[in-house]
Order: sequence, then C-alpha cells, then structure tokens
Amino acid sequence: MTAGLQWKGERVINGKFLLRELLYSKKQAVIYILCVALSLVSLVAVNSFRSDIDRSISGDARALHGGDIILHSHYELSPGLQRAVVSLTEENRATAVRAWEFYSVARKSDESGSLLCNIKVVENGYPLYGRVDLASGREFSDVVDAGKIVVGQGVLDRLDMAVGDQLLIGSALFEIVDVILYESAKPVRFFNIGPPVLVSYKDLPVMDLVRQGSRVEYETLLKMDDANSVDSVAAWLRGRSLDGQERVETFRDAGSGIKRFFDNLLFFLSLISVCTLLLAGIGIESSLSAILRLKEKNFAIIRSFGATRAYLLHHYLLFVLILSAVGCALGVVSGLLVKGYLSVLFSGFLPQDIVFRSSVADLLEGVVVGLMVVLFFTFLPLWRINNIKPVVIFRRESSREEKTTTYYLCIVFGFSALCALLIRYLGEVSTGFYFLGGILLLLLIVNLMTRLALFSLSKIQWRRPGSRLALRSLLRPGNVTQSIVVTLSIPIALLLIIYLVENNLRGTYIDSFPADAPTLFCLDIQKNQQKAFRELAGGKITLHPVIRARLISINGKAVNRGREMKKRRDNLAREFNLTYREALLEDEILVAGKTLFRKDEKGEPVLQVSLLDTVAEMGNMTIGDILQFNIQGVKMEVEVTSIRSRTRSMLYPFFYFIFPEKYLKGAPQTYFAALHVESEEIPFLENRIVQSFPNISTVNIAETAKEMGRMMQKLSKIVNFFAAFSILAGGLIIVSSILATRFERIKETVYYKILGADSRFVLRIFFLENLLLGLLSSVFSIAVAQAAAWSLCHFFLGISYAPGWGACLWLIGLTIIFVVTLGLLGSIPIIRKKPGQFLRQLN
Amino acid sequence: MNKHKIMRIFLLLAGLIILICTGCSQEEEKELMFESNKEGELIIVAVGDSLTAGYGLAEEESYPAILGKKLRSEGYNCRVVNSGVSSETSSGLLSRIEWVLGLNPDIVILETGANDGLRGIDPEMVEKNIRDILFRLKDAEVITVLAGMKMVWNLGPLYVKRFNAIYPRLADESDIIFMPFFLKDVAMKSTLALGDGLHPNGDGYKIIADNIYPYVLEAVMKKQNL
Repeated sequence: MTAGLQWKGERVINGKFLLRELLYSKKQAVIYILCVALSLVSLVAVNSFRSDIDRSISGDARALHGGDIILHSHYELSPGLQRAVVSLTEENRATAVRAWEFYSVARKSDESGSLLCNIKVVENGYPLYGRVDLASGREFSDVVDAGKIVVGQGVLDRLDMAVGDQLLIGSALFEIVDVILYESAKPVRFFNIGPPVLVSYKDLPVMDLVRQGSRVEYETLLKMDDANSVDSVAAWLRGRSLDGQERVETFRDAGSGIKRFFDNLLFFLSLISVCTLLLAGIGIESSLSAILRLKEKNFAIIRSFGATRAYLLHHYLLFVLILSAVGCALGVVSGLLVKGYLSVLFSGFLPQDIVFRSSVADLLEGVVVGLMVVLFFTFLPLWRINNIKPVVIFRRESSREEKTTTYYLCIVFGFSALCALLIRYLGEVSTGFYFLGGILLLLLIVNLMTRLALFSLSKIQWRRPGSRLALRSLLRPGNVTQSIVVTLSIPIALLLIIYLVENNLRGTYIDSFPADAPTLFCLDIQKNQQKAFRELAGGKITLHPVIRARLISINGKAVNRGREMKKRRDNLAREFNLTYREALLEDEILVAGKTLFRKDEKGEPVLQVSLLDTVAEMGNMTIGDILQFNIQGVKMEVEVTSIRSRTRSMLYPFFYFIFPEKYLKGAPQTYFAALHVESEEIPFLENRIVQSFPNISTVNIAETAKEMGRMMQKLSKIVNFFAAFSILAGGLIIVSSILATRFERIKETVYYKILGADSRFVLRIFFLENLLLGLLSSVFSIAVAQAAAWSLCHFFLGISYAPGWGACLWLIGLTIIFVVTLGLLGSIPIIRKKPGQFLRQLN
Repeated sequence: MNKHKIMRIFLLLAGLIILICTGCSQEEEKELMFESNKEGELIIVAVGDSLTAGYGLAEEESYPAILGKKLRSEGYNCRVVNSGVSSETSSGLLSRIEWVLGLNPDIVILETGANDGLRGIDPEMVEKNIRDILFRLKDAEVITVLAGMKMVWNLGPLYVKRFNAIYPRLADESDIIFMPFFLKDVAMKSTLALGDGLHPNGDGYKIIADNIYPYVLEAVMKKQNL
C-alpha cells in the first residue's frame, strides 16, 4: 500500500520496478531482443548486399551497352547534339568514344572468296566499359591500329584464312592481327548475320564505306565522370537531339532483351527488402504483444494500487527501449560479423566478381530503418497499456482499447513513415502505394478468412470430446486464436511470395538457357529446299513454316493501327509470322482450351487459331474471339480455340499464332530452323549451307547463348542467395512468433490440468488445437501468397506464372510440424508438474 | 404420345441434323477468301518486301494504298492489293509466285531484292530469281512493272556495282515496264524515313506513289489496249 501511495505522485522512473519487470520477463524479453536483433541483421544485410549486387549488375549493364550514356543514330549526329557532346568532354565531365557499325562484303586479297561481315570502326579508348578479349591475350588497344584489324573466328573459318593474312574491306587492304574471343558489348545485338571485324577509326577514310548512300549506325558512347549525373545529363542531351532520328539512352534504359531481366532482378531485390522489413515488424509486434498480454493482470493490479497510466506507459516505453537497444546492439554486432565473414561463408555461392564493401552508410541506414520499424510495430502493443483498467483483475477477457485522436495521429504518422520507407525501397511512389494497398488487402483478407473459418468451425458438431474441447478452446471468448492465425499467416505468406516469385523468375529467365539451347538460326529456307537442308544439316531438325500476315480485326473491330504503333513494346499493327502444326512444342503448355485445336465429328480440325498468351494479353483476346488476317493479299477469318504459354524463352523459336496444317499449307511460306551445333563446328556448317543454298541466311548465336548462359548462371546465384537468406531470416522470425504466441496456449494446459485431466488427454487436445492452428495458417497463407505472387508476376514483372503447388504442400506440412512441435514442447514441462505449481507459475 | 407429337419431334431432330451438317460444310468452305474481280475492274498486285508492305506504318500509309486511291480518284477502275512481305528475299518471292497469281492479277508491280543485298547474297542468284519470277509472270500473261533497286554503299564498291546492274539488264532482256529506282528522291533522306533510316515514312510513300504512278498508268494503258 505504501508503494501505491508512492506511485501516485511519482513522475520519475522507478529503477527497481523497471529492473524487476525486466528480470521477471526474461524468457519473453530474450525472444523480443532476438527478434529485434534478427530484424536488424537481415535489414542491414539485405540493404548492403543489395547495393553490392546493384553495383555488380550496373557494371554488367554498362559493359553490355559500352557506356553510361549511348547516343544512337542512322545519320551523323546533328550539330546541336555534337556541340553538347563536345562541351561535356571539354569540361572533363565525360569521356566520349565514337563507333560506326555497318555490314560490308569483305573479300580475300586474291578475290577467291567473300563474306558479309559486321564491321565496327572504333575510336581510341573503346570499349569504355567491359572488354574485348583477344586470342593472343594482348590488350585490344595495343593491337588495333591503322591497317590492322581483329576479326571473329568465323571470318577465318569461313574464308579459310589465318592470322597474318590480308582482307579487303571497301577500298582498303587490312592485315588480320588477332582473333576476337569475347566482346562484352556483343550479346545485346542478338541478330548479327555476319561475324565481327573491329577496325581502327584511322582507316575510316581509306575504306571509303561511310558516306552518302551508306547505311551505318552511328554510336557515341559516354562515360560520365560523376556516375550520379547520368540521368540528368541524358535528359539534357535528349533535349538537344532530333526527335525520331537520334536516340539518347542510358545503360539502365537502353533497349536490350537482358535489360528486362535486370529490371526484374532489381525489383525482386526490392521485394525481398520490403518483405524482410515487414517480417521483422511482425516478429517484433508479436513478441512484444506476448510479453504485454502476460503482464496485463499485473498492470491492472499495479493500476489498482494507484499507479497512473503515464507511470506505466513511461516505464514500459523505457522497458521496450532498453530491450530494443540491446537487440540493436546485438543486431549491429551480428550484422558486422555476417558482413565481415560473408566472403568466407558464401564462397562459391555468390558470383566471384561481387565485391562486398563494408559501408557505414548502409549500416547506419539499416539501424535507422530497424529502429523505425521497432517504433512503428511497438506502438500498438504499448498503446494497450494505456487502456488497462484495474477492473481487468476481475474479468477474464482483455480490456478494450480507447482510441483517441492522439492514437489515430500516431497511427497516421507511423503509417506515413512506413510508406516513406517502402517507397524508398521500391524506388517508385506508385509502386510503393500499390504494395501498401496489397499488404493492407492481404491483412484484411487473412482476417476475414480467419473469422469465416472460425465461424464455420463453430457450427460443426464434433462428437469426440477431445476434438470438441480443442475447438471450444480455440473459440472461447478472450482467446487470441484469430491474432495467432493472422500473425502466423502473414509471415508465411510473405515467405511463400518470395519463393514463388523467385521460382517464376528462374523459370522464365534462368532455366530457359539449358546446355542444349540453339546456337545457329537458319532463315529463309524455301519449301523445295526442306529435304536437302535436312540432309545437309544432319540430325533431327524441326523446320518451322513461317507465313507472313497482318491482323486486320478482332471480333469485327479493326485493329487500331495508330494506337498500336504508339505502344512501347510489341504491337498488333506489325506483320506477324504465322505457322501451322498439329501439336504443342516441348516448351509449350495450354493455359486455355482443352486441346490445341478443336476437331469436328470426323476428327478433322476446323478453321481456328491457337494464340500465345502474350499476344492474347496484348489485344485482350480470348477463346471464342474471331480474328481476321490478311495473308499477303488474301483474307482469312478464324476463331480462337486455345491459348498457350511458354516455359522457355529468348533463344527458342516461338509463334504467336498457330493454325491447323490443312488451312495454311498452301499459303506462301519459308522455313526457319534453330539448330544446336557445337560452336567450333558452326563456321563449317555455315559454309556448307551457304554454298548449297545461297539464299539461306545463317545467324550464329553460339557466343550470345554462351554469354547469356554465363550471365544467367551468375544471376541465378544472386537470386538463390537472396531468397535463401530471406527465407532463413523469415523462418527464424516465424519460429519466434510461434514461441511468442505459445504462452497463450500454455495457459490452457494449466486449466485442463487443474480440472483433473490426465497428461495424455491434455496432450491430445493440445495436439489437435495446434494442428488446427497450423493448418488454418498455412492454408490461408498459401491462398493469399498465390494471389499476390500471381499479381506480381503478371502486373509488375510481366512473366508467365507457375503456381508451384508441390512447394505449397511442403509448406503446409512444415508449418503444421513447426506449430505442433513447438506448441507441444512448450506444454510438456507444465504437464509434468503438479496443478499447484501451475497456478504459481501462471501468476 | 400422339402421332402429331412424334412427327413434330422427328421434324425437329431432322432439322437439327441438317443445321449441324450445313454448319460443318460452311466451316470447311470458309478457309481462305480470295476476293473475286468486280466487273471490269483491273487488279494490280504490289508484290515485294517491307518496302511494299509498309513496314512500321499502317497499311493505309503504304504506297499500294496511296496508289490505289490515286488511280480511283483519276477515274481508273483499279484495285491495288498489297502483297508485300517484310524481310522477304527474292528466293521467298519466287517460292510464293503461284500464290500471287492466285490473286488473278492483271498487273504486278514487282519490287524485290533489297533484303538479298542487305544480307550480302550473291547478286548472280538474285538476278536468277528475279528472272524466273518475270518468266512466270509472262507465262501467266500478267503485265509487269519492275521496280529497280540500288544497294547501300557500305556493302562495298564491287558488290554494289554487281547488284545495281541486275535490274537494268533484266529490263533490257524482257518486255516489261521498268522504273529505274524504287526509292528515287526518298532514299537516305532522314525526313522521309522512319527512325531506322531505311524504311520510308508516310511522306516518303507519297513520293514513291507519285513516282511509280506514270509506270503503273503505262501498264494500265497496255492492259486496256490488249
């Protein structure tokens, strides 16, 4: 009572009280500290790894495009743009290198052979980024000079020449001084129909190939002195360029097939950061809530002894701050340790050229973000202290919270801070808001689903007493079943989202570059050359018929060409390659329609078309739509009867529109073949093909395939690493959430034991209760994760989606095992003790 | 069930069967819709590659569409069909010439070879292909306007010389109407080309249509005088 009188007027902090509270909540406090530490470690780690990876990917993108800013035109740069480039170089803000690229027929000096080559004339300093590897191992800049060129192996093989021989290009005679093994800027240019030749700019006038009447790609590559000025300088240059004639791009937005993958990868890294942030928050919130729920009665008793709300709030704020500070310190130390030993820990797991730098800024950012997350997610549990009334001692249920203006202001402020954090991580305001909306929706849906499931369960009549009791225990007033299910479902859903998105990214980009990917494309094979071509190329070759046509209308509505042509990506107004066949390709699956083609009663396919999902989305086309095509002057009307999707990409041929054979067999067509030939054999095969069929064009993509494969392997490691790290951290947070909520359920054990139930009975009830909790949480998380991951893949990443049901089943099993095991392990010590001890322990 | 009722059901079923059967046969007949000639209408088929197809533009902006409008506005009863195929070589065109003839053309405007040149294909082969196409058109009694092509200079002086000589030589050896250069006044002009610097834009096609018009008119006269 004396203590009560002292509390009443006291404004200062009572050290003894605080110490006592800290000591008595040691188990829960340890979980809370671990949660804060883990959150911080994962945030600091993901944050700093991300910038390291970002640096590495940006480096790759620069090497692929050859500069920070790329100016591109089919004409000499306009005077305005030229002046702008000169001013940048004169002010030492940028280094510029010019390149002229074109095709030309190179000839042997004795005129005994000629070959179409991809000529690139470059100024000193090329390449600004990336590298050109030569067979001799010498530096590119030391080798290429006036009269001296380096060539791709294809030139030597196809013209039967050797290093040291002479080659005529235009009006100039050159000495071949080396062979190009690798050029980092090449993979971007996917379709090169001739082997490469690199020439010094000093020979440009003597070659006499670049003049009025030439088709040349003029490129100026810029390396900026200040990497942060890339976007602003590019915008400035765009203002000085001729619209529609000159293109100003940065390494980030330059058009290339790989760019989309880079974008998607960076987005995935942002997603990981955001999910880690939320997982950390959930861990903190649930562990603190568990601490405070257990102390609710104590608070009521303290309040009844005269302590004010402010007294409790101040002390518990300090209590949380002390625990958070310990957690932060532990997190920072662990973060530094993880960072310090990362190269040792993950050697061979991450690409070798990723350099991990210890950045104080990254660390500080991690700490600040961690503390903000702690503040936001501790606010709600702490607010509850404010509302605890002495009367709670006499009631079983928790006290209701009073929501004042301050409460709402705090929520708005905290939510805004969280929004700012999300936007910072995702890099875009609109994406940030989409995400927030999505997460709020996720919370709402899980809440609703839980309510609905619990309501439905309450209506079922269970016969077995064990099941009945387990269910009643879950449904009784005052139980926190709903919050437990939500607390468990959200992190599981977030982890599953990461897994599913990672899996789909991998499926679309990485697994699409297997070892047997095509290395040689052959175009323009004529109908009467099919048999002879097969004999020449050898092996089992699929020849794809190609029929050029335009899409005129969809359901009688003409394709709006003006609108279509404005689309940045593919559009419906261009000419399409149609094909015909009767079966799906190995990499195709049906996503709508029962079979590729519908058959009539005679078993013959009717006139119809099968669409690839990408083109179906482009024109909002679906099964049953009527499309009209113009096939080189002839009109054809067809019904859409199936929609396909692809499991591989980029290097494999694909067709938007497939028809039954009988309807297009008579249409004018050429054939296309994608062959897998070992790279050293390609030039010889190309020679044989061109000698026998001069009309057939060959495209050697062996180098591209190899380079793409190498890059995808590297990126695959990055994706694996991030997903694994996040899943590990998230898994630990889930375990801590289970541990935190476990105390609530242990209380139940105590009551059963007091009422005389034996250990087996209690264990059975407990098992059923935990089983149900695990099942509900995992099923709900799978439902929302599937919806969220599909939306992300569909709307943000633009890739096809595979639901990965196998993994989902594993998740259900693992969650149940986790929840049941941890729940039972926690209750066993209590079951073994006598009822009197329970009551003492409970209080 | 009385007799009338049975009869009604029988008739209904018979009707349904007939409906299904006619539905099937209509489906099979639908296939490809070659448009038939209207009375006295001349069919002019513009065959060629992307330069004829109108690559990157709406079909209405391509030269065959502009030419068709111009002929009709001048009172000629002509229909111009665009049978251009982007990225097609002379070999491809030779393979589909029967398809083109299936359109029942009175006049063919033949523009091909640019893609062969850009791919560095042997000019000898290009010449042979075009010659074969011209023979086939002559066999089918189709009046032909051959549009000549000139190759870009960067391919090299020797190749360009051999390539550019193909068209005048073919024009000399056969009874065709010859337009020396399809891209006259348009080639290499940035204001008349798309961003790729190669394909004409809408303004470029207007000039091409104007340039080709007298040759087509000559073909129309020739046809009418036959």
